[in-house]
Amino acid sequence: MKIKGEKKKRQSVRNSKSEEVEEEQPSITEQNKLKQKQLPSHSDSDSDPDYGSPYVSDSEDFPEDGDFDGSLSDSEAGESGSSGDEGVVNSDVDDGLHNDQENQSNSSESHQGVEESDSSEDEVAPRNTVGDVPLVWYKDEEHIGYDLNGKKIKKRTRKDKVESFLESADDAKNWLKVYDEYNDEEVEVTKKELKLINRLLKGKAPHSDFDPYAPYVDWFKWDDAKHPLSNAPEPKRRFIPSKWESKKVVKLVRAIRMGLIKRDKPKEEQQFYHLWGDDSSSTEKANHLSFIPAPKSKLPGHEESYNPSLEYIPTQEEINSYQLMFEEDRPKFIPRRYTSLRSIPAYDNAVKDVFERCLDLYLCPRVRKKRINIDPESLKPKLPSRRDLKPYPVTCYLEYKGHTDAVVSISIEASGQWLASGSLDGTVRIWEVETGRCLRVWEFEEAVKFVAWNPLREIPIVAVSVGQEVFILNTGLGDEEEQKNIKELLHFETPVAPDDSGDKVSVASWHQDDKHEGIRLRHFKTVSSVEWHRKGDYFSTVMPAGESRAVLIHQLSKKHTQRIPFKLRGLPVSSVFHPTKKIFFISTKKNIRAYDLQKQKLIKKLETGLREVSSISVHPGGDNIIVGSREGKLCWFDMDLSSKPYRILKCHPKDITNVAFHRSYPLFASCSDDCTAYVFHGMVYSDLNQNPLIVPLEILRGHTSSNGRGVMDCKFHPRQPWLFTAGADSVIKLYCH
Amino acid sequence: MAKPDSKPKQNSKPKAKKHYRPAGKKKEGNAAKYVTRSQAVKHLQVNLPLFRRLCILKGIFPREPKKKVKGNHHTYYHVKDISFLEREPLLEIFRDKRAHEKKVKKAEAKKNPDLAKRLRTRAPTYKLDKVIRERYPTYIDALRDLDDCLTMVHLFAALPALEREKIEVQRIHKCRRLSHEWQAYISRTHKLRKTFVSVKGIYYQAEVEGQKITWLTPHALQQVMPDDVDFNVMLNFLEVYETLLAFINYRLYHSINVKYPPILDPRLEALASDLYALSRYFDVNSRTSVVDPQVSSTSGSEQVETQKVGTASDESELRLAQLQHQLPSNEPGALMRLVEDDAGDVEEDDDTRECKKLFRNLKFFLSREVPRESLLFVIPAFGGVVSWEGEGAPFKEDDQSITHKIVDRPTLVRTSLSREYVQPQWVYDCVNARVILPTEDYMVGKIPPPHLSPFVDHESEGYVPEYAETIKRLQAAARKEVLPLPGVGNEDVEDPQKLLSEGIIDRAEASEAAERKRKMILEQNRYLDELKMEVEGVQNSSTPSDNKQSSSKETQAREESEPDLEQIVEDHANMSKTVMSRRKRKIYEAMQIGKQRKKAHVDLLKERKKKIQAAKESEEN
Repeated sequence: MKIKGEKKKRQSVRNSKSEEVEEEQPSITEQNKLKQKQLPSHSDSDSDPDYGSPYVSDSEDFPEDGDFDGSLSDSEAGESGSSGDEGVVNSDVDDGLHNDQENQSNSSESHQGVEESDSSEDEVAPRNTVGDVPLVWYKDEEHIGYDLNGKKIKKRTRKDKVESFLESADDAKNWLKVYDEYNDEEVEVTKKELKLINRLLKGKAPHSDFDPYAPYVDWFKWDDAKHPLSNAPEPKRRFIPSKWESKKVVKLVRAIRMGLIKRDKPKEEQQFYHLWGDDSSSTEKANHLSFIPAPKSKLPGHEESYNPSLEYIPTQEEINSYQLMFEEDRPKFIPRRYTSLRSIPAYDNAVKDVFERCLDLYLCPRVRKKRINIDPESLKPKLPSRRDLKPYPVTCYLEYKGHTDAVVSISIEASGQWLASGSLDGTVRIWEVETGRCLRVWEFEEAVKFVAWNPLREIPIVAVSVGQEVFILNTGLGDEEEQKNIKELLHFETPVAPDDSGDKVSVASWHQDDKHEGIRLRHFKTVSSVEWHRKGDYFSTVMPAGESRAVLIHQLSKKHTQRIPFKLRGLPVSSVFHPTKKIFFISTKKNIRAYDLQKQKLIKKLETGLREVSSISVHPGGDNIIVGSREGKLCWFDMDLSSKPYRILKCHPKDITNVAFHRSYPLFASCSDDCTAYVFHGMVYSDLNQNPLIVPLEILRGHTSSNGRGVMDCKFHPRQPWLFTAGADSVIKLYCH
Repeated sequence: MAKPDSKPKQNSKPKAKKHYRPAGKKKEGNAAKYVTRSQAVKHLQVNLPLFRRLCILKGIFPREPKKKVKGNHHTYYHVKDISFLEREPLLEIFRDKRAHEKKVKKAEAKKNPDLAKRLRTRAPTYKLDKVIRERYPTYIDALRDLDDCLTMVHLFAALPALEREKIEVQRIHKCRRLSHEWQAYISRTHKLRKTFVSVKGIYYQAEVEGQKITWLTPHALQQVMPDDVDFNVMLNFLEVYETLLAFINYRLYHSINVKYPPILDPRLEALASDLYALSRYFDVNSRTSVVDPQVSSTSGSEQVETQKVGTASDESELRLAQLQHQLPSNEPGALMRLVEDDAGDVEEDDDTRECKKLFRNLKFFLSREVPRESLLFVIPAFGGVVSWEGEGAPFKEDDQSITHKIVDRPTLVRTSLSREYVQPQWVYDCVNARVILPTEDYMVGKIPPPHLSPFVDHESEGYVPEYAETIKRLQAAARKEVLPLPGVGNEDVEDPQKLLSEGIIDRAEASEAAERKRKMILEQNRYLDELKMEVEGVQNSSTPSDNKQSSSKETQAREESEPDLEQIVEDHANMSKTVMSRRKRKIYEAMQIGKQRKKAHVDLLKERKKKIQAAKESEEN
């Protein structure tokens, strides 16, 4: 198409050129005329129509074209005068040139109209008036060239792309159209031209009637020639079959026969068949590893809809707030709403999403993971009904008020009738349990750390630790005979002489205390706890800062103090006597050690695994221990089972301050700084094959926090399922069933 | 549990060095089972791209060993997987290919284009059918894994061919063909279940052999070709997927007695309405296949006719069918209906039957601007008849029997009163709801109601959009209206036995359900009672023992305990939590976190909704 167009353009351009030339430069034509007159005699084969030269005319203004013409005429000359020598040819060239010019001037002068009609192909008159100037010159102009009257020829109005595209889409013949810039018009390629182009594209001659393989016409007359061109005898090779060719053929034939050369097979398409056989249940088992199917991609939710409900679309503020998020947390997909299907744009990440899925499929390590798809409630263990485990303390029944500061320690008398409490305000009070009446008050200079009733009912005395001292106080309860005994017990004339070794004396010294009517035991460090032996004669004291002499055992009847003969490892926290056997437990911050007092050796070491033990309590059976820790964990040790905890209960968010077993009921309790006390059912079976049963029963609340401390101590009533709790809010509470 | 002796276990043996292994002792455990990727590549003597390609073709993926022997930053493959690759004939073929490429290169370097050309025609080829058989031992396995395959093939069907990315035109055409074949099958057998127009494209869900297959087709727009995508990887995947889908299509087509690969009407193909061409092909094919046995059965029935009078209606139907068989096949509407009537497959499940009936008597005409391919797929899948604007369409726009015209323009130019003009979303919503929705909301020029995802389980999500409830109501209404009708209409009066038995069954079922419900309620009540009892028990226990307590205290206690019901419930939960093992507790807590997150999401939605409503009301006022 293009070629044709250009050709036509070229022709028309040339025509116009000649016209222009005539119009603008009449002098040249005059010159030509002169020349023509000077060289009158030359009319060769110029008028030969095959070469189309008659209207190919140029003046010297366009040298390239002139050259072209020259060569043309050159060939003409060659053809015409084949027998001439070079000089002749040269002259002919000149002649041709002149001839051309003459011719052109002739035609241009005489019949312009004829020339136009001469171009057989286009009926439309060539309207281009621009000339062979670059079109860029006219780019910004509204006109293109001038008509014969010298008026501007207006350009057509430009169509915008959409319009032209639509037009092209509608017009089936669009592909045949070419835009001619010089003429500013669209030219439709005719069928004839199309054929011509097709032929050219195929590399054939442009005209179909041209036969490139026409039989050779031998212009040379052989018959009349007297002498042959060559007199040499015909060589042998002209009539003998080639040996080498045959050899080659044989070689090929052999190769084909031997199968060395293979014919190209036609490319075969993939054949499809029943890949999985006809029966769907193929029992064939793959002998390789188990295939882990990749998880399916997530199905889209409402928010991915092109037109989601309005509530799924985040507000502008929310979208802005996404910018503040971490990149990982940012939602990957922001819902948007399009009001109609036609307004949905192409999704930018369509390819990328699929690509990422591909990467996931072949690069991600796969593991078979059990996904728990259960009701979370089913994870909770099946606990026996709490009603079956009654009685246990449930509600607050009584409050004992009177202390002015946090109550640190409480203790219940063996009969369960009296309650002793020590507080940070430096007082120890004795209460009547049933009524809440305060019976007696002692005041000390320092804060009371610990109170402990003597476990014997006949000797109602209380051990109180205050700073570095431990007081043994007579409560004045009981009948007269008992009082007499107590007075005897608490009375000794001379303080124990420092006769043995200085060491012992410095550890603790016994004094008569007249002010409080009791005994004062002075220690060398602050005493944190006092524990009585079940027989009421011995009691132990713990001084956490005492290092190797931290734990002492005192005998009340002999007013004697002794160090425990064991090496302590770690800071001691508290010590307990075994309820039945001659075993002594000392808990350090990490471990609990059980010593046989008779044999004086270590029996067992219990590893709590806790960070810091705060309290310890021994089951009345003696085989089970509970330990509370500062991290809020409660460990139950079954000493027969293991040195590791049998069960760890994480119940309190804050420190556990104390733990306690009930003496007769299968109950235990823990109290903590989070102002709660937990009551558990802890059944120990005599059958060794059965593990202890632990059931949480009740959470007791009621205390309020002060200074970050909640419940400081809890103790069970010795006979009733009642729990006493001492709070940092200076109240003691009694919880009953 | 027996109690072991109380002595602590003592480690008498000296501890061996952690990583020491005696000479000659084989590796054990994870060290022996897993190799890193670089080890695997070295072992197979291939380069990394080829290794990746093999992995893609064979479907081999890294695994996560329990203990990563070589460190955390390696990918681990199972030794067996690697040996599985090692024995693969493809490996050898790929090596041959590499050698062959060298030959071609050499020929080119020696300026021997003839040889190079000849060599190129003889490049080693391979087929993947064995590989696919290995990857998917059963047909069901293959169907199960079809989601990604379909998504990928549909995506490539919409991509332009790119020279620089080596995406050839033939491949795109192949993908187009495969996707259309698949769609034609699904549409023809009415296996489509759900559709969803999302921003990302259109999701479809079909159910084939009980497998739910979901795929995504991009919108029919110019796709964005990102630069940061490695198309080699995708093309490798596509290679497998093409083969897989072709084999599956083969199987599916043969299951409905149609030849595969189908030969299409070249005229329709040229008009880029492949799907329609395929459906035509189906119709012609299945007509012959379906009608033929019927001819034999007619002859049989003729024999029977001498003995029995009856089945007259069947006869006339058959004759009609035969007549239509003789008609030239340029009457697709009639043909379609014929096929529909005839292909009353016995094994069709209820779902399919329901889907088939949805658009049964409706005739659709697609306007130029609606997504033609999607609707041409969806509407026939639900029993409708479609035509479109353009060449090759089965019927023209001026057809009087058209019931719905689907238009997606801002304003409506109504030309016919007999038909309804709806937006395309109506079709998708109807399909998802399985009900013919009222068209008022979907009128041209209106903003249609929200398009909801059919893949969301509202119960587990915890939030039901308003329109979902509307649809539910409509569904219920439709069921009430429609369901009793076919029971009367279709069930012949002649066998009341059947009706009765059905009724009995129904009643039994209903009673069973009622029983279950009652039980549930009972259980719930019991639990509530228990709770109440407990609370009361607390109070009761406190009341008798208050012999010494002042009454004011007692009332105070009651006051305290009464509002604490929630507290008690929480305590309950807390208490059982304390007894849980640590692992279970962690799981439980994680679940609670998940629940909370979900709840937060729902709350957010509710809040937004409230705001929107408030804004609306204020506007109205």
